[in-house]
Amino acid sequence: MTESTFDDIFDDLIDPNEERQNFLSIFEALLPEASTLLVSEAGVLLAGARPLALAPSERERLVRETGATDGFVAGEAENGAHCQAVYLANLPAVLIFSCAAVRKDDLRSGSTSASLLRNTIDLALARQEREMLVADHEQAVRQISILQQQHGKLIEDNYRQYQLNQDREKEYARKLESEIAMQTAELREANVRLEEISRLKSDFLANMSHELRTPMNAIIGFSELLSEAPLSEEHLDYARTISQAAASLLTLINDILDLAKIEAGKLELEHLPFDLTEVVGNVAAMFKIPAREKGVEVACRIDSRIPRRIMGDGNRLRQILINLTGNAMKFTEHGEIDILIDHEQEASGRIVSRFSVRDSGIGIPADRVEAIFEKFTQADGSTTRKYGGTGLGLAICLQLVELMGGNLAVTSEVGKGSTFYFVIPLEEAPAENLPLREQQEAGLGKTGCGGRILLVEDNVVNQRLASILVTRQGYEVEVASDGAEALEHLRHQTFALVLMDVQMPNMDGMEATRRIRAIEADPALRHDYVGLRARQQPLAIVGLTAHARKEDEAACFQAGMNGFLTKPIVKAKLAVILSEMMPS
Amino acid sequence: MPSAKEILRKFTELKTLPHVAIKVTQLVNDDRSTMHDFEEIIKLDPVLVTRLLRLVNSSYFGLTQKVGSISKAVVFTGMTQLRNLVAVESLRGMFKGDGVDFSAQKLWLHSATVAILSGMIAKRIFGKNGEDVFLAGIIHDIGLIVENQVAGEQLREACKAFREGQGTLIECERKAIGADHAEVGYLLAKDWGLPHEVLSSIKSHHLSRQVKDVSCTGSILQLAEFMAGKMKYWPIAGPLEPLPSELTAHVKEKVADYKIIIRDLPGEMAKAKELYESDE
Repeated sequence: MTESTFDDIFDDLIDPNEERQNFLSIFEALLPEASTLLVSEAGVLLAGARPLALAPSERERLVRETGATDGFVAGEAENGAHCQAVYLANLPAVLIFSCAAVRKDDLRSGSTSASLLRNTIDLALARQEREMLVADHEQAVRQISILQQQHGKLIEDNYRQYQLNQDREKEYARKLESEIAMQTAELREANVRLEEISRLKSDFLANMSHELRTPMNAIIGFSELLSEAPLSEEHLDYARTISQAAASLLTLINDILDLAKIEAGKLELEHLPFDLTEVVGNVAAMFKIPAREKGVEVACRIDSRIPRRIMGDGNRLRQILINLTGNAMKFTEHGEIDILIDHEQEASGRIVSRFSVRDSGIGIPADRVEAIFEKFTQADGSTTRKYGGTGLGLAICLQLVELMGGNLAVTSEVGKGSTFYFVIPLEEAPAENLPLREQQEAGLGKTGCGGRILLVEDNVVNQRLASILVTRQGYEVEVASDGAEALEHLRHQTFALVLMDVQMPNMDGMEATRRIRAIEADPALRHDYVGLRARQQPLAIVGLTAHARKEDEAACFQAGMNGFLTKPIVKAKLAVILSEMMPS
Repeated sequence: MPSAKEILRKFTELKTLPHVAIKVTQLVNDDRSTMHDFEEIIKLDPVLVTRLLRLVNSSYFGLTQKVGSISKAVVFTGMTQLRNLVAVESLRGMFKGDGVDFSAQKLWLHSATVAILSGMIAKRIFGKNGEDVFLAGIIHDIGLIVENQVAGEQLREACKAFREGQGTLIECERKAIGADHAEVGYLLAKDWGLPHEVLSSIKSHHLSRQVKDVSCTGSILQLAEFMAGKMKYWPIAGPLEPLPSELTAHVKEKVADYKIIIRDLPGEMAKAKELYESDE
């Protein structure tokens, strides 16, 4: 690559003499009285505004001689005036000029005039260079301004970038938020759905229990009645078997209902005074007979520091102990079963007690311990085949103990036995009367001393069963198959008590009860009802329902009933309630 | 005779512009692109990353701290300079091969000279940002490379006819090939998504005899092309086209400026070599 000059490139369009001409005019401007001639290297003659007339021979001599020196060479113009010639390497050219102010010998090298003139020439040359410098400077200025622009643009760009990034970040944050919100909403919805499903399941179970209890009512009732009839030994055995099977089926139904209630969070523990010794004693007594048959001993021991009367849910505590003891009984072939209640500590008025049921049975392998607390699971599948049971019992116990503020746990050794235990705080009951069972049970023995009872029941089988039970208690029975019919009966006849089924077609027990109470409260209406008009006291109405839940009981009282019996009707309970309610 | 479009189509069947070059140009054209987007593209090409970091760490930028990340480098170079760097990098590989009638290697030297000169004229004389003009300079003769690839024989024929004075290069190309490199180059640059002024300057760099605006990219490109040709940076031996009169008048007016540019060109070329030249 050879470096080109401006002249190489723009030779076609640039006249190289233009520069020399330019120099001449600058020089003439600096030295106004001078006449000039410029001879280029190529021999081209250039004249200024005042051309110097010079003989060609003299011109050639001057050009020749200036080539040998860098000083001035004197000559003579055509008009006889002195002239001077000098070689200018920059152009390159020979400058010949004549100036009146300059004498012939003035320009000897070193003289003042010579220096002055040399300076003048340099100045004229420098003016051209200056043009270049100015252009150079201007180019530099332009480049700087471009750099400044670029710099500005970079800063702008970067700022824009910054803002873009910020926008994007915000957008991401927004997206993230909305996504979270969406997911939360979805989860919430799913949760609501699940709760709804759970509620539906509980309702379904409750309804199923009701549907199961109604036929159970008949089975239990009639098998009981059958056992009391004069039968052959064989038939009696059949009847008892039916009774026992029905009883265990009822237990299962109750368990399912309990579990459903616990899982729906609807199970509430009672907080009433009860006799702990009695509860434990009852449990032990329950297992006396099967224990004796098996040759197993059942013992119970309560720490003397634990008070007898306790506040809490005695029925549920009994249920737990029955379950645990029942289990122990099931898996123990010999030895003993102990129900122990130990005093652990006392804190803020509560007695922390440890309940244990210890057996000397087959024990539970360590790897199955967790599984036995699961629903429908026993230590292993073969257990079910051998020992029966559904595996619901422990699951219910676990939940009930938790509700009581404790944890059910087990220690066990295969072949030596198991101990199920839980530690719960007990609260001593204030020194008031216990609702004594003895009082209730007092009525058990005696039978009714007559009186008419209206039985309102839609199910024909149950009508028969209840009629028989009531008649056996020594009362007369009239049957109505729904609420409307019951009102019709009351219009024409008097009764001492009404046994009112709750769930019936046409008019249910609740509605019928509300109407009866309304009629009683209105003297005008009351007049039309023979069964109501003469009464001093409100007619006794006892609800009958397969719904054994607390809230069902409450609903009955809410509607105006005075008593409440769950189906299947237990003979003893019927006797108690009738003896209490029937006017003597 | 194939049209310019067909020639380009045949070419793109053989070779494609690097994805990086097209993507970076798109990002430059997009107001919403960020440094991060550039980084994502550039990091795909390790050679480019090295080149970019070398550029930004060169004395040209005079940074006190060494730049080690792509996005930071883009912050300093700016997007258009980055685009040019990518273009140089992408095109360099296509300018390979030598010959009597047509030499791609010489064409590369020519293109680089035109690019540098164009940039200098734009910045120093018109006070314009020289990056688009530089790119136009690098790419303006790409059409010849395309033709060489697709119709090499016909191109050499055209170059020969041109050398023998049978007409302008454009005329000889049209006769031998059916299209000319200005049109083909224009179409390629259009596919690339380059700015409008770059496109039109490529299309008209042999054609516009009437110059309306001496400071436009096309005029600067023509002037630089002329100067480079005079300096023998010209791949195809043959008569040079004369400068349009408006440009001649412009140079006459700015003699001192152009003297300086010619004086400074070797230095600028050395600098460009340092920044852009490959390690080969």
